[in-house]
Amino acid sequence: MTPTAGQSSPPPPPNEEAGKQADSGPRSARVALSPERTLRRLFLTLFLRGRSSRGLQKDSAPKSVGSKLALTLVFYALFGLFALFFHGQPVFALSVYLHGMTFVFLGMFIAASAGEVLFNKEEADILLHRPVTPSALLRAKVGVLVEVSLWLAGAFNLGGFIVGVTARDGGWSFPFVHAASTSLEALFATGCVVLTYQVCLRWFGRERLEGLMTTTQVFVAIAAVLAGQLMPRMMGGVGGKVTLAASSWWVCLLPPAWFAGLDDALAGSGARGSWALAGWGVAATAMVLWLAFGTLARDYGAGLQSLGEAATRRPQRRARRRWIDVAVSVPPLRWWLRDSVSRAAFLLTAAYLMHDRDTKLRVYPGLAPMLVMPVLFLVQDHGQGDKGGFGGAFAGVFIGLIPVLGLTLVQYSQQWQAADLFRAAPIAGPAPLCHGARRAVLLLLTLPVLLIFGLIAWVVRGNASELALLLPGVIALPLFALLPNLGGRGVPLSLPTEEAKSTSRGLQMIGVMMVSGILSALASWAWSGSWFGWLLLIELIVASVVYVGLRASISTARWPPLE
Amino acid sequence: MILLQHLTKRFGAQTAVDDLSFEVPAGQILGFLGPNGAGKSTTLKMLTGMLEPTSGTATICGFDLLREPVEVKRHVGFVPESGAVFESLTGLEYLEMVAALYAIPPEAARARIRQFIAFFDLSFETLTDKLLGAYSKGMRRKVVITAALLHNPPVVFFDEPLDGLDANAAVGFKALIQTLAHEGKTIVYSSHILDVVERVCDRVIIIDKGRMQVDGQPAELLAAHGADTLERLFTQLTGGTELERRAADFAKTFRP
Repeated sequence: MTPTAGQSSPPPPPNEEAGKQADSGPRSARVALSPERTLRRLFLTLFLRGRSSRGLQKDSAPKSVGSKLALTLVFYALFGLFALFFHGQPVFALSVYLHGMTFVFLGMFIAASAGEVLFNKEEADILLHRPVTPSALLRAKVGVLVEVSLWLAGAFNLGGFIVGVTARDGGWSFPFVHAASTSLEALFATGCVVLTYQVCLRWFGRERLEGLMTTTQVFVAIAAVLAGQLMPRMMGGVGGKVTLAASSWWVCLLPPAWFAGLDDALAGSGARGSWALAGWGVAATAMVLWLAFGTLARDYGAGLQSLGEAATRRPQRRARRRWIDVAVSVPPLRWWLRDSVSRAAFLLTAAYLMHDRDTKLRVYPGLAPMLVMPVLFLVQDHGQGDKGGFGGAFAGVFIGLIPVLGLTLVQYSQQWQAADLFRAAPIAGPAPLCHGARRAVLLLLTLPVLLIFGLIAWVVRGNASELALLLPGVIALPLFALLPNLGGRGVPLSLPTEEAKSTSRGLQMIGVMMVSGILSALASWAWSGSWFGWLLLIELIVASVVYVGLRASISTARWPPLE
Repeated sequence: MILLQHLTKRFGAQTAVDDLSFEVPAGQILGFLGPNGAGKSTTLKMLTGMLEPTSGTATICGFDLLREPVEVKRHVGFVPESGAVFESLTGLEYLEMVAALYAIPPEAARARIRQFIAFFDLSFETLTDKLLGAYSKGMRRKVVITAALLHNPPVVFFDEPLDGLDANAAVGFKALIQTLAHEGKTIVYSSHILDVVERVCDRVIIIDKGRMQVDGQPAELLAAHGADTLERLFTQLTGGTELERRAADFAKTFRP
């Protein structure tokens, strides 16, 4: 723009038609997209592309939910093939399994996505001064969550649709009925999350909203994972053939059972109990939706506004040092964090692990499955004598996954651009930052888990000597913890959060889990063969050599390119 | 065109905007000034319907802020200080999305966007091919200004609009808002660049700690307070005393 051009020819007002449209608003809806459809398209686009775009070209941006989630959907579809084990079972048993797992997936997806989608701070400056109502914003966002939920649910239930047709009391109507009940379940799950937010907002106010949102989401995700792990075992406890008998009354308390009741009522046995469950499911869904999008929706606007407000806290009488600051200034942490850059990275990572909503929502629900599975192995392995070493060894080696996953997840942050500061600082490479972050993850995430596993193993097995089974995992732990930093990667808080959704991370974790499984089997074999001590010695020597090599490699790594 | 009546906003125990009342007629450019944390952005956010006042009210184009917030929003344009945009949209996608929210038909919106990109010296290819995250700060600011004016609002609020604009773009922008004011639009201009405010604005309001300090034409205010520049007046009124001496003392701490 030249000054002359700017001064002599500022843009004229919009043409007459546009001016009228702008003034008349809804009258022009038949020509322009309605604001609600515009918002829904906007939020779907943002979901697909993410909200940040360094290095992202428009041509390479995903254009549909399917293309964005293709690999994830394939995984879901493959996982859904476990439904084949229900071949010949009653519709109700199959449906409880399908709805139970669907509820877990949707619960995790919605809990992980809802905070970012529903309450985005930057969005207020872009949209809140536009002529759209808070309820229109809410409906558009929830519409996108439900749409993506249905894609995930559809992929997972593909196998179940077929198995339902061949179920003992099933038929060709099952796929249609199950599709409808799954849609209802998606609405119920989304409504529950939205309702939880609204209730938190109304009861606890804006000052505590952010912290509550974080805690709520973390607990919803953890509960979903726990339910997913425990429900099939509870089903096993009633022989996999759930009926509405007195012995299985607890099924009636589970939302998935309500939607399974709908399947059974319309496409299965048509039992009276199933009709009751179905009726309860429909009523509960209607109630949740009415509360979430009707009665409490007006609070949503206030919630959005509150994110832009600076919460004021009551001033403390005197400034207190945070416990973590005190901890790093005294031995042994002072010795462990002698390098000032590593110490700063340790404190930064610790602060984000403890206080940043976005980081907590990624890390803790991500770690929840890591905690549940080994505990189940520990408990199930109990009472098998010398041949029962696998569970303990597996729990020990599984601990190695905690720093791998933790370090991988603390790379991502909504404030990732601030990490450019690291490159501007006089540091030759990212190694000291990686060391600090690794130590924070080891101390704050891994050590507590190790202590918990040890305690469980001790209590469940009642034999302190079996704690030694954890040692192969403990020896391998430092090696696992170095893996995310190889090649100078894994710099804390340096990557946009959208990259955290990459499915390649899941593939890496599968690779690490396979190594864990092999090591666990080896440890179990050594335990039962009385050469466990030799295994530990060999592992210690090999691990030490590899550790030195990996440390040297990381220490000499230079900054990876920005793009 | 804009009428504030005892507008107040409290965040807990802190009062951000304290009983602010004034009126801005059509065609006036009002410079809205104050030190950091004075309550300027909070006031602008209330006037654009982004924040609900704790007490008091305002009307814009005759629409009450509390009772008709959507009508108020339909009649205002706002350039927020943050310059926030959806970074993963292209410039064109973003502007068309904004146009759709004001129910401007796609063809009319596209024509209007072309007028703006010609004025701001942007290429249409840049607007269609690059995501906003890849734009320079100045280019992004131009898109945000375009998004605020796209629906031809009678009232426009600018919060630090020149942030990121190069000198040429800044000169053009100042000419633009003066022309818009001559055509009857009401402009509220909040900025820390006081010499620009002094040259562009018909009237200046300075607030501090949420309360109004002065209100009047720049020349009158300077004469009344015996200040030679608006900057001097601003520091007089907002407690910026002995700044030169404090700066000199601080600079001494850099000596080896």
